[in-house]
Amino acid sequence: MLSSVIDYIPGWNVWTQAILAFLIPILASKIYKKMYAITGKGKKPDTADSKKAETLLEPSGAPFSGDYEADIQVIRDRIGGNSDLIFREIRMEKTNVRAALFYVAGMHNDRVLDLHLMEFLMFEAGSDTINEPGRIRDRLPFSCLLEASDLNSFNRSVMFGHIGLMIEGELGGLLIEYPNGANRSVQEPLSEALLRGPRLGFTEVLSENTSMLRRQGFSDQLEIKTQKVGTRLRKDLALAYIKDIVNPDLLEEVSARIGKMDFDFIAESGYVEQLIEDNYLSPFQQVQNTERPDRAIAALLEGRIAILLDGTPFVLIVPSTFSMLLQSPEDYYERWLPGSLLRMLRFLAAFLALMAPALYISFISFHPGLIPTELAMSIIETRQGVPFPSLIEVLILEVSIEILREAGIRLPKPVGPAMGIVGGLIIGDAAVQAGIVSPFLVIVVAVTAISSFSIPIYSAGLSLRLLRFVGMLFAAFLGMYGTILFFLLLCSHLTKLKSFGVPYLTPVSPFRLRDWKDLFFRAPLALMKRRPAMTKTQDDKRKS
Amino acid sequence: MYRRCGRSLLVLAISILLVPLAGCWSSNEIEDLALSTGLAMDKGQPAPVEKELEGKGSTYAKRNRVMVTIQVAPIKSKGNQGKDQSGKQSAYMNVSGSGDSIFEIFRQFSIRLDRPVIGHHLKVVVISVDLLRKQSIEQITDFLLRDNNIRPSTLVYLSDGPARETLISKMPGEVPSFHIAGMHRNQSRTSKVLDPVTLTKLDSLTHSRKSFVLQTLVTGGGEIQLSGAGIINGSTGRFIGSLNQEDTESLNWLIGGGDAGPIKAYDRNGQPITYELLSMKSKITPRTEGEQISFKVGIETEGRLIETWDEQAHPTTNEYAEELEEQFEEKLQEKMQNLLRKLQTKYKTDVAGFGQRLAIEKPAVWRKVKDDWDRTFSRSQVTITCKVKITDFGSFTEK
Repeated sequence: MLSSVIDYIPGWNVWTQAILAFLIPILASKIYKKMYAITGKGKKPDTADSKKAETLLEPSGAPFSGDYEADIQVIRDRIGGNSDLIFREIRMEKTNVRAALFYVAGMHNDRVLDLHLMEFLMFEAGSDTINEPGRIRDRLPFSCLLEASDLNSFNRSVMFGHIGLMIEGELGGLLIEYPNGANRSVQEPLSEALLRGPRLGFTEVLSENTSMLRRQGFSDQLEIKTQKVGTRLRKDLALAYIKDIVNPDLLEEVSARIGKMDFDFIAESGYVEQLIEDNYLSPFQQVQNTERPDRAIAALLEGRIAILLDGTPFVLIVPSTFSMLLQSPEDYYERWLPGSLLRMLRFLAAFLALMAPALYISFISFHPGLIPTELAMSIIETRQGVPFPSLIEVLILEVSIEILREAGIRLPKPVGPAMGIVGGLIIGDAAVQAGIVSPFLVIVVAVTAISSFSIPIYSAGLSLRLLRFVGMLFAAFLGMYGTILFFLLLCSHLTKLKSFGVPYLTPVSPFRLRDWKDLFFRAPLALMKRRPAMTKTQDDKRKS
Repeated sequence: MYRRCGRSLLVLAISILLVPLAGCWSSNEIEDLALSTGLAMDKGQPAPVEKELEGKGSTYAKRNRVMVTIQVAPIKSKGNQGKDQSGKQSAYMNVSGSGDSIFEIFRQFSIRLDRPVIGHHLKVVVISVDLLRKQSIEQITDFLLRDNNIRPSTLVYLSDGPARETLISKMPGEVPSFHIAGMHRNQSRTSKVLDPVTLTKLDSLTHSRKSFVLQTLVTGGGEIQLSGAGIINGSTGRFIGSLNQEDTESLNWLIGGGDAGPIKAYDRNGQPITYELLSMKSKITPRTEGEQISFKVGIETEGRLIETWDEQAHPTTNEYAEELEEQFEEKLQEKMQNLLRKLQTKYKTDVAGFGQRLAIEKPAVWRKVKDDWDRTFSRSQVTITCKVKITDFGSFTEK
């Protein structure tokens, strides 16, 4: 009796396996948590410290003394060393008062400056305008007129491009006109080209970008709130949302995360993305970026929030979910049947871009029985001269394609396509001729590359490109089993991932049937009467 | 802090290193494998190559009860890159060996070949009738059914002559096993091609202990032909005799498997007239009167007159059609009688599913007779009624 029980107690190797199977996931999650903790997500520790930083950042510098000569001297001492700073002292004819203009070369249209501003100040501004303390702001005919509170902020604003005006006998300096540096004209969005739909793309100027959003339609509910970010070089960042749609909790969370950003210079919205995202270890982007105002406004109407940063045409949209990576505005602009077809095609393309080389490796190296016989025969015939195992073979071609893509971005425009042809066709063909790779692989790699180009969001394509290599390694070690393992790992990671509290895989997991209307296929617009459930909007009806 | 961080990095690095240490588990590049596409089994005698090897003392303990030939494709060709010369050399290689365990023979091939043989792509198994006279089909297919790699969809054929000869082709670039595997596609053209028997089907047939037929292959002049069928006795699993092409065709009609092909008869003037089958229905109805079991077989067919050599005929009238129908019915009746005579008197086996009909319609009777069904069948009376209907005469111009 006892001996038969003992018989069923497994041997040491089973125990070892069981212990390993128990320990490895725990170890892996420990390591993951440690790595996660290393960065602290770029956030500042709360309250007390941040206040210190705040004070450090804005020293309540010297106030204006009121003495014209002294103030001018202070300003010239502080910023006079810049050779692009232009200082022009004038005398106002009618009142016989001295005034001084400070501005940075290149920020303004000189003709406007000379003709209007100087003329007005020198010859027109009379004693009734000036000399009445406190009223000067009302009397000067400039639409944009700010008063600097202290010398430091006056200096900073002048250096940023405002025109600074000091008038004798006035307390404080005035800042006239917004900076108007060199700009690019409005162009078609380069990274998100469409056949049908507006050709308008965001530019580098925040005010232009916000105005583009505004011009999408009449509404008093579109709210844009601007704040300064960056600790050393400060920049404008705007949050745009629709007041009566957005979920207030979400708005609070986004503002809080932006408020906690601690970085001396926010060069591009990518910095913002990386500083506020939920999981920096994930290969997937949790914040969507777009160059298209129409995409941004559509997201706002779904209850999302747009983050606009001065100096970049890329606007961030939060929260973002996996399905958004494969959506294109064209899905909605075209009729629903072709829109759905294209979207499903994109899902297939994403799958191919991710898995095709991994599947190739597992079929070629592990499961020759799963290939149709005729195909297996021709693969054998073509691969007979190939000296490498399939992993090396795939790596050779994949890496060279990736290099080619990278090179294609850097190349000057006229050379680009030629390079593509030389690289793609000639290298591919020559590699086959030389017996380094098999012709079948060239097809696989080409299909993979084409598939990854069909993903509408560039950075999502980057994630898939990265993961493709991981998948290839899994496939090379464990074959189809490894490929499936890799897919399951991805799935389990994705289900755990969140973007601003919204589960990344949302309509799929957690299951929300309502949002499936806009997942694999795009339901007719008449059926999409409500906003997505995932964003938990205040007003979820799209129809009045 | 720094040390702890370093240690965790070390743990991470080691655990990552564990993965490549495992290497590419069971990885086998496809070009380093040999696909066996065909398998032939003959009665045991050392193959010519083997004889020579054995002459030099290279042998192992065995009894020569079966000779196995596998077809390996494609064979390694160095001149693969030169496109003009590919196709001239043969695309396959046959390896033979004999012994008394098919698996052992397979492994014996592994000391002769440069690439391991895999069975995933096995398409056909050809068994010579000579072997089946000595060994039961269950014995020789046991390995094929047990093996996990060999697909259950592999087709099974018999061979009149040596089975290994069916795996030889004169056509350059053609793999004979693919040729054989593709032949059943002609079922839509003639009823002389029976439904192909796969390994799974064979498994059920052998285990149900019923007699059945397998299509027979004949080679000649470097070509392969489907020629009739061989009858395998259910209780012994051995080959007991063969049906010729015409009987096979009749059998196919009787079991409702074929609905294509011609019926040729001669008209009053002795000229050939040919009827093309468009549909064929057969119905077997068992009847019992006491102990005596009898069957009524009704065969109905529709088709068109496709060819006549009689220049005097006026082939548009109903009368003419009826006259022809009668002649074709007669012909069909004759063919069926031939078949039944062979089954009932010569081979005394039921391969046409009479027993199955009886089991379905009169299970109580079946239970009594099933143990000795083949003999009971050979004594029972079968009446056949044929009905031919000519629906049209094809397209032709009135003279």
